[in-house]
Amino acid sequence: MTSRRHLLTGAAAAGLGAAAGAGLTAVAGADNVVPAAAVEPLTTGTATVPFHGPRQAGIAEDPPAHAAFVAFTLPAGTDRRALARMMRLLTDDARRLTQGVPALGDTDATLAPLPSRLTVTFGLGPGLYRAAGLKAPVADLPEFRIDRLERRWSGGDLLLQICADDPLTVAHTQRMLIKDTRPFAAVRWVQQGFRRSPGVQAPEHTQRNVMGQLDGTANPRGAEIDPAVWNADGSTTLVVRRVRAEMETWDILSVADKENAVGRRLDSGAPLSGAQEHDEPDFTKLDASGLPAMPDFSHVTRAHVTDPALKILRRPYNYDGAPNAAGRPDSGLIFASYQKDIARQFVPIQQRLAEKDLLNEWITPIGSAVFAVPPGCDEDGWIGEQVLG
Amino acid sequence: MRRLLLSAAVFVAVLAPSAPAWAHAQLVKAVPARDAALPSAPSTVELTFSEDLNPEFTTIVVSDVARQRVPASAPAVDGPSGTLTLGRPLNDGAYTVAYRVVSADGHTVQGSYGFTVGDPTPPVAAPAPGSAGIPPAVLIGLGGLGVVLAGAAAYLYLSGKRRRMTT
Amino acid sequence: MLTIHEISRHSGNYSWAVADLCSMRTNVLRAAAALAVATLGLAGCGGSGSDAAAPAPAPSATATATTLTMKDPWVKAGPAGEMTAAFGTIVNDTDADITVTSAESPASPLELHEMTMKDGKMVMQPKAGGFVIKAKGDHELAPGGDHLMLMKPAKAIEPGDEVTFTLKLAGGQTVPFTAIAKPFAGAGESYDPGHSMAPMGSAAP
Repeated sequence: MTSRRHLLTGAAAAGLGAAAGAGLTAVAGADNVVPAAAVEPLTTGTATVPFHGPRQAGIAEDPPAHAAFVAFTLPAGTDRRALARMMRLLTDDARRLTQGVPALGDTDATLAPLPSRLTVTFGLGPGLYRAAGLKAPVADLPEFRIDRLERRWSGGDLLLQICADDPLTVAHTQRMLIKDTRPFAAVRWVQQGFRRSPGVQAPEHTQRNVMGQLDGTANPRGAEIDPAVWNADGSTTLVVRRVRAEMETWDILSVADKENAVGRRLDSGAPLSGAQEHDEPDFTKLDASGLPAMPDFSHVTRAHVTDPALKILRRPYNYDGAPNAAGRPDSGLIFASYQKDIARQFVPIQQRLAEKDLLNEWITPIGSAVFAVPPGCDEDGWIGEQVLG
Repeated sequence: MRRLLLSAAVFVAVLAPSAPAWAHAQLVKAVPARDAALPSAPSTVELTFSEDLNPEFTTIVVSDVARQRVPASAPAVDGPSGTLTLGRPLNDGAYTVAYRVVSADGHTVQGSYGFTVGDPTPPVAAPAPGSAGIPPAVLIGLGGLGVVLAGAAAYLYLSGKRRRMTT
Repeated sequence: MLTIHEISRHSGNYSWAVADLCSMRTNVLRAAAALAVATLGLAGCGGSGSDAAAPAPAPSATATATTLTMKDPWVKAGPAGEMTAAFGTIVNDTDADITVTSAESPASPLELHEMTMKDGKMVMQPKAGGFVIKAKGDHELAPGGDHLMLMKPAKAIEPGDEVTFTLKLAGGQTVPFTAIAKPFAGAGESYDPGHSMAPMGSAAP
């Protein structure tokens, strides 16, 4: 356990990847250079994120390594009172589990004590509002021409976004919450995803997706999050899209081809007009022949937003299912974005990308869902109380 | 025979460094042609490639000697051809045509060439970055062959290839 | 079982919501007074009984908190008329043993039950003498152990419902609390009324 920890710390310190050989050579050096790592307490498992507050957790925090997005379908005839009972029950589970305490009636209480930054974030789909006889603050997305949506990954009346730095914590939380949701709703889909493990990279480093791209460079950070994400009442909205990566055809591209499709260098993430990852892309910059340095069909060019109020907070997770017999992968991205207003912020970006984006040649949206994310609650309240109470 | 030798030289010098691009879209015809010295200003630039173009992913620009872009329409794409309609008559001078297109397999192909209008100011040969570009060292390596001659040979070779392909 | 102490032992970059956990415990009691009338106002099941039986009729969390508290209470959801049970941990913060003699709820007649081995299998039966909570101790009510038995709920207890209860103590005090109803597959113990059929708390008709 300890030696493995050293190895990870050493690899991160030396700026090396996950290659086992490289990691091993780094161990000795790291032990010499960073002796402090030896006494670093084990905090990953016991770390918690506060559950209570005016805004739900699991949105603005640096995303933990593992996530399960669980969507439910309400049966016909569900009424507002049943929805309130459901949300009261699930809130009670979430406020306990996120603090490392077993849920009431938790039959696997031994799995609760290592919350590993567990968060449970609740989203309410358009169908939930219909069932409650209320006007929904979110509407299903328009159809985009790039979409190849499958029912098994789309829609949903209730969403639980369960995130933690440990997959067993996610599994137990998912099980507990599904058990308590079962009297009210049927599981519609579950999407499980991952990012880099804790300790592999410094917090707030931009993650790579399964296609090797740095993903989320343009995200609002720190104080930029507020104007893009939070409504005055602490609510926001969530878009979840399952985007399949066409790895077999992506594989045959050269690095230059991939960079042209994305608009960024693969290694550094720098825009093709700049030198550093966080250099603002310069769409007026021309190369020696007069061509724009940022290809006008590249993903970054098409997706770029300058108005801070129109940005979206991307919180994506990779997925990597079992390959088929021919070895073709089932990989991609669980795209999740938070924004104040889906129609005003998300839809225009997605429309531009659907119209023109070279990256579309290698990515295919196969699932899509939208949710309103109600404000957080205090110790006496429950999530959704402002809507259903 | 002479033409064949010239073509072979250009093939080695120009195409070999970007051998992977051989299977991808290539510029097979250009009007105005590479290094053309035109007596009067063209109103359009038409580039024809070895495979059909996707209009979404086709960029063609014309820049003057000061690297200012000449106003023009978006390229009109018809099969393998993209036509740029220039927004104003070109003054006498040297110009650079640059293109960036995407092959059916997603490979990006880009390149550039020069031409002049009227008073022959020496064309500025802009080294083009990217997989289809011509490294300056290669141009130097052409030795006794002038840039103009190489361009003409390329045109001869490529137009010959196009004829073979279309039969 | 996890304790708050285990978590708070560690320090790190994240805030520790120990305060949240502590308040969670009293929260239910505070809520109890407010919600006592609001939820499951079932007719005829002893709603009037609490007034008649106890000299201090109005259940007040603050008045009784110095004797016993009920931590993490919950009740197993179930259909009308079918036995179900309530669980939680009764905590005695005083320096003297306290006996819970009975319990009542507007939802159902109640009995205090224990699990016991009978003819080689575990069965439940009324707990003679009630639950004794040791000084500075606690007493867990859990599936497979001691519990509050709802003998015959007048109507279905739906998941997410909040059900009010009142523990009655040997000294005459009462401890009100509210339990949330949870779907639960376990706790389906077989009932053996055994030798004692004297129902405790409010009597069924």
